[in-house]
Amino acid sequence: MAVVTLDRLSKRYERAHKPAVEEVSLTVADGEFMVLLGPSGCGKTTTLRMVAGLESISSGKLAIDERVVNAVPAKDRDIAMVFQSYALYPHMRVRENLAFGLRRRGVARPEIDQRVKDVAAALGLSELLDRRPHALSGGQRQRVALGRAIVRDPKVFLFDEPLSNLDASLRASTRQEIAKLHRRLEATMIYVTHDQIEAMTLGDRICVMHDGKVAQIGPPLEVYRRPASVFVARFLGSPPMNIVPARLDGTEDRLSALAGGGGFGLDGAVDPARLPADRAVLLGFRPEDVSLASPESGPRAIVQAVELLGAETIVSATLEGGGEIAVRAPRDLVAQPGEPIGLAVPPQALHLFDPATGAAIPRRAS
Amino acid sequence: MEVLRRSALLLALSLYTAFAAGPFVWAAMMSLRTTTEITRDHFALPIPAHFEKFPLAWFSSNYSVYFSNSAMIVLSAVLILTIVGAMAAHCFARYRFRLNRVLYFLIFSTIIFPPQITIIALFQILVQYGLYDTKAGLVAVYVAIQLPLTIYILETFFARIPSDLFDAARMDGYSEWAIFWRVSFPIALPAVATTVILNFILLWNEFLYAVVLITDEANRTLPLGIQRFMGDQLEDTGMIATGLMIAIVPVILVYAFFSEKLIQGMTAGAVK
Ligand SMILES: Nc1ncnc2c1ncn2[C@@H]1O[C@H](COP(=O)(O)OP(=O)(O)O)[C@@H](O)[C@H]1O
Ligand SMILES: [Mg+2]
Repeated sequence: MAVVTLDRLSKRYERAHKPAVEEVSLTVADGEFMVLLGPSGCGKTTTLRMVAGLESISSGKLAIDERVVNAVPAKDRDIAMVFQSYALYPHMRVRENLAFGLRRRGVARPEIDQRVKDVAAALGLSELLDRRPHALSGGQRQRVALGRAIVRDPKVFLFDEPLSNLDASLRASTRQEIAKLHRRLEATMIYVTHDQIEAMTLGDRICVMHDGKVAQIGPPLEVYRRPASVFVARFLGSPPMNIVPARLDGTEDRLSALAGGGGFGLDGAVDPARLPADRAVLLGFRPEDVSLASPESGPRAIVQAVELLGAETIVSATLEGGGEIAVRAPRDLVAQPGEPIGLAVPPQALHLFDPATGAAIPRRAS
Repeated sequence: MEVLRRSALLLALSLYTAFAAGPFVWAAMMSLRTTTEITRDHFALPIPAHFEKFPLAWFSSNYSVYFSNSAMIVLSAVLILTIVGAMAAHCFARYRFRLNRVLYFLIFSTIIFPPQITIIALFQILVQYGLYDTKAGLVAVYVAIQLPLTIYILETFFARIPSDLFDAARMDGYSEWAIFWRVSFPIALPAVATTVILNFILLWNEFLYAVVLITDEANRTLPLGIQRFMGDQLEDTGMIATGLMIAIVPVILVYAFFSEKLIQGMTAGAVK
């Protein structure tokens, strides 16, 4: 049972000219898996360390279950953290690494042994209990680090990029283990990553961070489908969303965005009252939402490169009148560089952004 | 070809061993001979061997007192040095506080002063505090002169321990004090062993401070005791050698006990 509330949490490091974390507000519900996602240096680790109590809070409030814990030291917060470097104690065997946190908390000896045994069995570590960390592989160390957190049965779990030191195949399987773990423990978890696949697959909700601020919070698919800004739109998705400058044309229900020598029909998807006065916008659409059409009418582009990935084909093209875009096309597409292609995007897959602020222009509620 | 290289290497090593161990073997031989025998022939073998010189030195020449004084003073100093030095090094390496580096270099810079510069002042200070000619006074001086180097060696090692380990221990519920004893100190054990050996050997053989700050027969340490066999006209060379052999035993024991840790410390990289 733990609800973690961050209320305008800020962190300013000594001698830094701007805050590393700025007014981050966020509530993680009991049992929720919250992912903090953002590029390197955006303040994810700092935020997590403030929650852990390893970093002092410059301003704002941090509460666990309604109780403000700003001044509570890390050791009394009943939070476990899995570090990016695993941080296993090199002078202790795996068994002692797992038991270290329980010893401190005055758990009885037989119970410690039992819990260590159970967790080791659950994570497949039983054979390794008497090894030192240096005699373990990367994946095994990672599991010991997980085990050390689980065995304590804390109120809140924190993960700081726990998979970033694993190779690709191990990363995928460990990701699924963590998802399973969350379902089994039903504990509140905050998970930091810069990997959008981890974020999409693990998170109940994602909090996208940018430059120390929250860019958007929501369930993974909602953040993917309704990005609140150009930054979020381009950070999630691979290849990222195409963003091109466009001008709005037409009135009311017959609005279209002019780009690439043609119009993308908006079909009433946006609220005309919220449009910028000069009608210049940034138009966004995901590579997978583009279907190829005849280049005779409508928006056009010239093919620059074709990447055959087997399951699909990624076409890079230059929009007529400027602007690089990517199109995710069926694998049987035959296209040559220099060839013109026509583009069609359904109205509900079009996104409009304010060119000045990068913020999304809201759609009409449908 | 291979044989030639091996022989050359063997020869070089033998020469070096003879060079390094020669004086030691010579002193060991002399420790079993009387001064009269030594004056007759400096390099003769100890035949007959006078083993009775050892009990003689120990019982009638007051060696038991010197030895236990030395043991008491040096062990206390090394213990204090190890604990205080490790704690200071831990703080310098781990905590960010104002003047951290300034203090660190201030302490470290004191090693540039040769003892001759400070010894008169030290003498006066000890007299003022009633510590002159006491074992406690000498312990305090020994701690003071060896602390900078101890902190320096340990700080370098502590600074290489990843800070995530400390953070993990904090998350595991440990206080800063407990983290020092249960995480930092055990991980730094190879470096600690290095400083223990270094301090022990240096202080066990220390002469200058002891001769200036100790006069009472009951407080003398081993190096001073050996000096007693050097009279104005006459030197009892045989007994000096015997005294040296007794004095060297603890050094060998300490080294043998800690050297495995010492090698670990020197090959470092123990933490990753
Ligand atoms: N201990 C520190 N002292 C000063 N600045 C720091 C410290 N830790 C991180 N920063 C700065 O704060 C910003 C956010 O860092 P961090 O939270 O580690 O980002 P992330 O985990 O998202 O990559 C970065 O600009 C980084 O340089
Ligand atoms: Mg980070």
